[in-house]
Amino acid sequence: MSHHAFREPGDPLELEVDWIVVGSGAGGASAAVALARGGARVAVVEAGAWRDPEHYPSSAYGGARDLMPAFGGLATAGRAQWPVVQGEAVGGTTVINSAICVRTPGDVFVRWAAEHGVGGGPMAERIGAIQDALEVELHASRATGRAVGRSDVLALRGAAALGYDSHPTRRFVEDCAGSGQCLQGCRAGRKQSLNLNFIPETLERGGVVLSCAPVARIVLEGNRAAGVRGRFRHPRTRRAGASFQVRARHGVFVAASAIQSPLLLRRSGIRNRSLGRQFHAHPGTGLFGWYDDPVDMHIGATQGWSSLAHRDTGGFKLESLSIPLELVAGRLKGGGAVLAERLEDFRHLAMWVMAVKAESVGSIHPGPLGPLVRYTLDRADMVKMRTAAVLLAQTHFAAGARWVIPGIHGLPYKIDADALHTIEDAPLDPRAWVAVLSHLFGGCPMGADPARSVCDGEGRVHGHQGLWIADASQIPTNLGVNPQHTIMALARLRAETALSRATP
Amino acid sequence: MERAHTIPHRRLDPTAAVVRSAVRAMMPGSSTLPGCGELELDAFVRRLLHEASWPMWLATTASSLAFVLTPPLTVYLPLPSFLLPASLLDRHADRMSGHALYPVRQAAMMVKTVMGMHWGAHPRVREALALPPYPEDPGTWRTH
Repeated sequence: MSHHAFREPGDPLELEVDWIVVGSGAGGASAAVALARGGARVAVVEAGAWRDPEHYPSSAYGGARDLMPAFGGLATAGRAQWPVVQGEAVGGTTVINSAICVRTPGDVFVRWAAEHGVGGGPMAERIGAIQDALEVELHASRATGRAVGRSDVLALRGAAALGYDSHPTRRFVEDCAGSGQCLQGCRAGRKQSLNLNFIPETLERGGVVLSCAPVARIVLEGNRAAGVRGRFRHPRTRRAGASFQVRARHGVFVAASAIQSPLLLRRSGIRNRSLGRQFHAHPGTGLFGWYDDPVDMHIGATQGWSSLAHRDTGGFKLESLSIPLELVAGRLKGGGAVLAERLEDFRHLAMWVMAVKAESVGSIHPGPLGPLVRYTLDRADMVKMRTAAVLLAQTHFAAGARWVIPGIHGLPYKIDADALHTIEDAPLDPRAWVAVLSHLFGGCPMGADPARSVCDGEGRVHGHQGLWIADASQIPTNLGVNPQHTIMALARLRAETALSRATP
Repeated sequence: MERAHTIPHRRLDPTAAVVRSAVRAMMPGSSTLPGCGELELDAFVRRLLHEASWPMWLATTASSLAFVLTPPLTVYLPLPSFLLPASLLDRHADRMSGHALYPVRQAAMMVKTVMGMHWGAHPRVREALALPPYPEDPGTWRTH
């Protein structure tokens, strides 16, 4: 086993391996383990620290400090400032997400083929086969028993009353403890974040992991990716440590995230007009329902209920979300004594959220304080968000909520069923909504045309050898479903293709 | 495995004082819930300002400063928030949160987020809301 964490200055590290994988999230870890299973010696180079469940924080403060880049301080620079949710740790965002397992919808491959000249039926078939295997390896199963909290039960009831399909969420979780702590890392170790399986397996198969090791540049020799270099960074003080340089005999997989991958390619000297472009996301927000009896949404899985019934017709997905008490204050209107009084109701609140299959397109640029994410939801997408908000409110009322708390500027703090029209007429200005961006795509989009894409349909960066993209940054469109499954399968597909192309 | 370290303490820290003042006003407590001022706020603010990333530090201090300086926009008095009488300070906190100007609302939201991270994790608050207490965040990671 070979793991190198932070090293003090003066203790440089130099290595040579077959393949380097930059990033260890859904894409990076999946590519790395596939390469290692193919007999290659792999180095995984991850900017974040390696934290096991006993290291995970419990509080939202600890989650931001220990598991997110820049203390969770990344936000969009558009008409509205919406937080951008990402993980930074060995395992990447899989450490802090809900591990929701949704297969890539067939229409996605059709769209990629039609609009970008990649994907289509053959890719759909191969991704489907890989997803079959991933579901077995990572214990995909529907939430049952203690994982289904009262908030989820109410949502199931509300959806049934309104006549749309919904279900306990299918997730990569083995025997969920129902502790509602997915977002701070599952301390019970039940969630199958990839730091617990694919990364250790990569090590067992002779791989190397560098943690606390943000890559400064990909080393290019001519147009061939020959390695990476950077300096270790202390995970607490963020001071620079020793330098590291890893050489790759066959190539480099970039899987640093939809935000970081395009920035890494750019500062490595790769020139492509599409770098940082075609950035998509699933913006979302939630509505609280207020119920007479305590809901105690912290009991059960963090996201134990979901519905895809409106993905195709309405352009959104619905889910429950057990939001920690620490984050509720920011979602409730008011301040001072008014806010204190409202927080007394915490046990009676159930939060359900929508993720909008937004067509709005943004871009990623280097900025003075870190990545600059330019993104504004257009009117059509705001209409989807509002439609979803109305449906969530209706679902709450159908489930027995006395009030709904919309959290939309300009609307009353809470409304009853007779005032539902206020949400129907809610402003479409993004600044009136408190939303977040999760599920990020693009930045290094794949496509057949090098003038409109960064990598080809196999993930190879146009005009370069030995340089592959293996994360969500290659995905050129929105998916409309939780992306972890798609990212993992695409990454494995890339790795298998690369192995088959590599010269011995 | 490394353990969390001690936070240095400076006797005079105007930045911490500004943040503390804003956070305390945003959550004064209720008949059943303790306010931020009763919950070791000073230690939390010092820790936050010490551990936060540069963008987070900037957002926290700028938002708190905005809280201190915006009473003219909310309660129409040209005074910093810490000179307002209690009832007006409370009104300022509430009105700032729903202000027509987006940057003002965003500043209030940031102060509420910081407040929530401290208040919502505190054992006294969690007990009052029948929530399980959090174990201490270890702040550790694999070192080899």
